[in-house]
Amino acid sequence: MDKIIFTGPMGAGKTTAISAISEIPPIATDVRCTDEESQQRKENTTVAMDYGYITLEDSSRIHLYGTPGQERFNYMWTILTNGGIGLVLLIDNARPNPIEDLHFYLDAFQDFIRSTGVVIGITRTDVDSNVTLNEYYSALMKRGQVYPLFEIDPRQTQDVTILIHALLAVLSQQAAA
Amino acid sequence: MLSETATEQLKQQLESLLDRCQPICAAVVVTVDGYTCAMKQRTTDQYSLERVATMGSTLMSLGDTMTAELKMGSCENIISENQHGIIAFMHINHNLVLVSLTTETNSLGMLLSHSRKCAENMAKTVAV
Ligand SMILES: Nc1nc2c(ncn2[C@@H]2O[C@H](COP(=O)(O)OP(=O)(O)OP(=O)(O)O)[C@@H](O)[C@H]2O)c(=O)[nH]1
Ligand SMILES: [Mg+2]
Repeated sequence: MDKIIFTGPMGAGKTTAISAISEIPPIATDVRCTDEESQQRKENTTVAMDYGYITLEDSSRIHLYGTPGQERFNYMWTILTNGGIGLVLLIDNARPNPIEDLHFYLDAFQDFIRSTGVVIGITRTDVDSNVTLNEYYSALMKRGQVYPLFEIDPRQTQDVTILIHALLAVLSQQAAA
Repeated sequence: MLSETATEQLKQQLESLLDRCQPICAAVVVTVDGYTCAMKQRTTDQYSLERVATMGSTLMSLGDTMTAELKMGSCENIISENQHGIIAFMHINHNLVLVSLTTETNSLGMLLSHSRKCAENMAKTVAV
């Protein structure tokens, strides 16, 4: 079973991305946010997982799992990455410190990334464009980890599809090497 | 989200739950998005309840998602029966979940009935 995991901070658009491309009505486990800080950002948050799937041209099926973004649910990160083939990391450009978020999630998922692969999608650049793609590139260079990086809108099916295809390309390159 | 008085009352209700039902060794109230509101355990620091509480919110949402998928109405409770104990998860209302546990594997009935009663009382407490 080929399974890709979407992760990243709260509000980056993981649930949105999976519902944008899934061929079935996605399974979502969103509940109302109860703390004021989160409520100001959005109404609902994922507490267990998102699930959907897509079928590729060769009719193989890719299962899509979204993690909760908030760190107190990090036990779900371990559960959901189990058996996964790769990671899509979404970073919300409109959060206070997106570069810090990038480092945090790359660190948190480093073992999984090392044994699979990752692509990064920067979201909500229409809301806030203070941090540029170049700054993300330099942050990645400093880590010595140059991963594919895209500016995307997770509400757009095509944007999310590009991320998935980029990830599959990375994975097949690694398999060939 | 909850007022200080409501939180204080929830704590007292957890205390009386443990007083009334001897087999229950710990209970915790958590928001549906995983924040602990109140907790009580018989032996101090026996369990790290906060993490378990957050997991309770995860499980409860999975339960709700499953029952909705099967069109079975709302999820009343989730029971985890284990080699060395039982854990029960139930909604207090739309925003809160009660997690209670016992190490006595033959006390499922008591665990459920006392916890349910407690959850109903708590629903009244936070409604006002
Ligand atoms: N304007 C704009 N809105 C976006 C963009 N990407 C996502 N959104 C919106 O931002 C919100 C993202 O919410 P979710 O998809 O629930 O975020 P999530 O990553 O699943 O968050 P958690 O589950 O809480 O960790 C939604 O309301 C989207 O419509 C974007 O690029 N531009
Ligand atoms: Mg989500």
